[in-house]
Amino acid sequence: MDRRTLIKAGAGLGLAGHFGLSAPAYSQGAAARTLKFVPQANLANFDPIWGTQYVVRNAAALVWDTLFGFDEHLVPKPQMAEGASVSADGLTWTIKLRAGLKFHDGSTVNAKDVVASLTRWSARDSMGQMIKAIQQELVAVDDLTVRWVLKRPYPKMLMALGKNSTPMAFIMPERIAKTDPFKQIDEYIGSGPMRFVKDEWVPGAKAVFAKFADYKPRQEPNSWLSGGKHIMVDRIEWIVMPDPATASAALQNGEVDWWENPITDLVPQLRRNRNVRVDIADPLGNIGTFRMNHLTTPFNSVKARQAVLAALSQEDYMRALVGDDNALWKHCPGFFTPGTPLYTEEGGDLLKGPRNMDLAKRLLAESGYAGTPVTCVVAQDQPITKAQGDVTADLLKRIGFNVDYVATDWGTTGQRRAMKNPVGQGGWSMFHSWHAGADCINPAVYIACRANGDAAWFGWPNIPAVETAVTEWFEAPNLDAEKAAIRNLNRAGMENVTYAPTGFFLQYQAWRSNVSGVVKGPLPFFWGVSKT
Amino acid sequence: MFAYIIRRILATIPVMAVVALFVFSLLYIAPGDPAAVIAGDQATPADVERIRQSLGLDRPYLVRFGEWVWNILNGDMGVSIFTNLPVTTMIKQRVEPTLSLMVLTLILAVSIAVPMGVVAAWKHGTWIDRCVMGFAVLGFSVPVFVVGYVLAYIFALELDWLPVQGYTAFKEGFFPWLENLVLPAIALGGVYIALIARITRATMLEVLQQDYIRTARAKGVGQRSILFLHALKNAAVPIVTVIGIGMALLIGGAVVTESVFAIPGLGRLTVDAILRRDYPVIQGVVLLFSFVYVLVNLLIDLLYTLFDPRIRY
Amino acid sequence: MSASSLPSTVHVPAIAAPLPDVLPPFKPRRGFIGYLRKNPIMAFGGALLLTMLCIAIFAPYLWTVDPTSLAPARRTREPSAMYWFGTDMLGRDVYSRVLYGARVSMLVGFSVAILSSIIGLTIGLTSGFVRWADAIVMRIMDGMMSIPPILLAIALMALTRGSVQNVIIAITIAEIPRVSRLVRGVVLSLREQPYVDAAVACGTRTPTIIWRHILPNTLAPITVQATYICASAMITEAILSFIGAGTPPIIPSWGNIMAEGRALWQVKPYIVFFPAVFLSMTVLAVNLLGDGLRDALDPRMAKRL
Repeated sequence: MDRRTLIKAGAGLGLAGHFGLSAPAYSQGAAARTLKFVPQANLANFDPIWGTQYVVRNAAALVWDTLFGFDEHLVPKPQMAEGASVSADGLTWTIKLRAGLKFHDGSTVNAKDVVASLTRWSARDSMGQMIKAIQQELVAVDDLTVRWVLKRPYPKMLMALGKNSTPMAFIMPERIAKTDPFKQIDEYIGSGPMRFVKDEWVPGAKAVFAKFADYKPRQEPNSWLSGGKHIMVDRIEWIVMPDPATASAALQNGEVDWWENPITDLVPQLRRNRNVRVDIADPLGNIGTFRMNHLTTPFNSVKARQAVLAALSQEDYMRALVGDDNALWKHCPGFFTPGTPLYTEEGGDLLKGPRNMDLAKRLLAESGYAGTPVTCVVAQDQPITKAQGDVTADLLKRIGFNVDYVATDWGTTGQRRAMKNPVGQGGWSMFHSWHAGADCINPAVYIACRANGDAAWFGWPNIPAVETAVTEWFEAPNLDAEKAAIRNLNRAGMENVTYAPTGFFLQYQAWRSNVSGVVKGPLPFFWGVSKT
Repeated sequence: MFAYIIRRILATIPVMAVVALFVFSLLYIAPGDPAAVIAGDQATPADVERIRQSLGLDRPYLVRFGEWVWNILNGDMGVSIFTNLPVTTMIKQRVEPTLSLMVLTLILAVSIAVPMGVVAAWKHGTWIDRCVMGFAVLGFSVPVFVVGYVLAYIFALELDWLPVQGYTAFKEGFFPWLENLVLPAIALGGVYIALIARITRATMLEVLQQDYIRTARAKGVGQRSILFLHALKNAAVPIVTVIGIGMALLIGGAVVTESVFAIPGLGRLTVDAILRRDYPVIQGVVLLFSFVYVLVNLLIDLLYTLFDPRIRY
Repeated sequence: MSASSLPSTVHVPAIAAPLPDVLPPFKPRRGFIGYLRKNPIMAFGGALLLTMLCIAIFAPYLWTVDPTSLAPARRTREPSAMYWFGTDMLGRDVYSRVLYGARVSMLVGFSVAILSSIIGLTIGLTSGFVRWADAIVMRIMDGMMSIPPILLAIALMALTRGSVQNVIIAITIAEIPRVSRLVRGVVLSLREQPYVDAAVACGTRTPTIIWRHILPNTLAPITVQATYICASAMITEAILSFIGAGTPPIIPSWGNIMAEGRALWQVKPYIVFFPAVFLSMTVLAVNLLGDGLRDALDPRMAKRL
């Protein structure tokens, strides 16, 4: 019995036999021009400067362009910029724009747009804020030239403009970029290769992008965020599927073309389907984090933090996250992304080798821990934080902590972790998060590795030795000096436990075999992807 | 009659006022900070505080409630904190799938449940009756998401007869639309069918014992005609009432069904909004659902006169 | 929530509600076994519920292991002699989790039934006897009733952190309006009864009237209603946990186990299957018991349904 006969016979609906698989709304040719993509999360808002979730950044990279863009070696290459030059004293940066670039509303990209966009971005981005702090002036010299004059040299300028960590330095029309950086924009007009079709945006379900006819790709071959961003389809539809099981079924049935983050347990099933291809999504992966509050008991004591490190089994965390596939995770007794130049395990001995529960218990006793509750704030709506939280509850209990497990959602975690109050008055002891490997390649883009007390990321570690090392790195003249600085940073950070890394892990992506051109990268790159 | 309608409509105002106050207060004192979600993982506490101020989340209760009610009366449900889209727009985008699901479920449920109940009453005490009653109890006992997963497993995954998930807009064609909705509607309809079948059977049993039915029988009116013309018409009031009251089941069930079958409707909007603390959306949706519920029951009240000429106001 | 809207509790708006007549107070019958034999369905429901109750109470002694202990090295094992119901994605034993899960369901079901009956009774009595309170209270109850119960419970759960206690409170609040309405209806019809009039005429104080004449007559419908509330509370708890707004995930509850297994239900259906069967069986048991109780305690309803 096939589907048709069932519907006629079964269900008792007495319907005529029109039931095709799903009568396609487009003809075959048109279907090949529409790429259906299942993103990692819902595109709930769409201001890449104001909201900094990865999913917003990924969508924004289609709609907005940047002056510079990282290539696959993490080197910033000119994108909207023709080029940039810096004066001999390192204080004056001059950026030339390519001529003839257009925004989606038809207007020409002007240096004034760049000035307004960079001003808004530098109010929100951590590197941008550093530049803003030493800024003398940021002006449009003529229609295509921008000059940024600084009071002190900032050698990482091009990295700041081309990096892929959020918020990226996207260029918007001046009238939009004038929006208060703490208010959302409501016009989504950029100069990127795709237009955002606002009318068809159904947050929580769908977002639609249409090819921008007037986009002028660069001549160089594309590489990540640099080079020619050639779009091979007319439309890209993002279909939000919160439930991995349904996304998997949809991919197997050909209802969607590309799934950004299939969960590992479903991968064997996807691999068995000969119409589906599966591969690593981002070679730079992610680092799971166990973030402790350095201001409240018990983790205000370095001994208690070290107790966690001594007992924490990265294997447990990683298996909970990625399943049985050993190719997907690595021990990571350091803060930086394995495989990138600055990676080091200096000082990470406590995380290496067999786990030592006795040592952990001894360290905990030495910390003077008296059984006060440890408030673990665990977001349940993010698979990565949820899986880690389950392992943590078990781990802390075995060490001898009195665990107070607060199951909440990502939004509440966001609020809770900003509280500096003691535990019991709204404060917290630890939460889980994860950092994209691309954001953990150096201290400039990696604010979570900093330990400058109140100004540091949530948990507010205050470890002067780490900050000294950060300064050393910023001033480092060459890679060897940078590496030396990072070794110091890693050692100080590990010994004082800035936070506890729970391991390095990779995630998969999967796509239909009739889709070609999918590359590995820190975000899904749609240029060069075609469908037959 | 007219005065009654007016009185009945006016009576819904305090109900809606209570709902409004309740919904607003509920979310006012809720923990969870949209500002923190918006700011993202890399934001500093100072950023979060500035976003909170720019959203107006730091103003006093009465100011925000007053403003909210005033805006709603003017047809403005506010702007979603996350998407920056008007809540009315977001609701409009989501109405079709939910409405489709509910209407289909309603049609399915009524067309299955009423005959079931009638037959059960007619064959009172036989195995048919017991089967219907047994099914009704099962319908109440198996949660909607369990039914959903079982159906999807059998019909979509194992047999591949129907799509696993998703929604196709009605304008794309009737059959693609229906194909996506069949399984969710059956899953959601289970409990509703049980409810309607049970009340139909009970009411019919009562009606069938009435004198005029006996008279009709004595006059030699056919069995089918007695059941469906005479008895069912007189049993209509409780049945219709329970259909209205069951709307609450339908709405609650839709929230879950839409999650299981990935239908981009109001139910999923509600769950997403609550998990993200998107206050204006939560308020808008809960208010809307309550309004629909009150409205449906109001209409049913007013319809009684049609079904039962004995009722006069 | 499903069962709470059973016809037994349906309040028919606008037309005068078919108020229950005076109902005889429940008298334990002789020959309990004989009675059960005549009502095999109720006996079956009762036995099933008793079994589940025993499972909940004696979970630690039924060859279970610690339901929360992790073993990521032996995750997602199929059911076998070693792991009767298999293991989940963190290597926890599903059999142990399902058995311990019975505790949460039972606790939530019974607590909500008892709490909402007591509170609903208080509110219903107050509103049946105090004229000025009646208008206010019933408007509030109408308002609350017009929010679909699951939506109300979800919204309430969004207020607080997930804990079994808060789940109980949220579901109780969502159920109260229905009980209050029921009690109020009974009270109003009883007030019209001649013997209540007589008592009032004799100068009997209101509390005494409530205690002697009203309360005993409300017990039967409330007991039946409480059974259905118990069943519906179990389902609501599972739904809340399933969508991530219920019992904290470190506590194994059937809804939580299913929520965690849902991502894998295509490849490892047993993780969802076992708790689903247990939940459905338990709710079925309570509903059957409720039907039996209704037949026994509330003959008028029994005739109607």
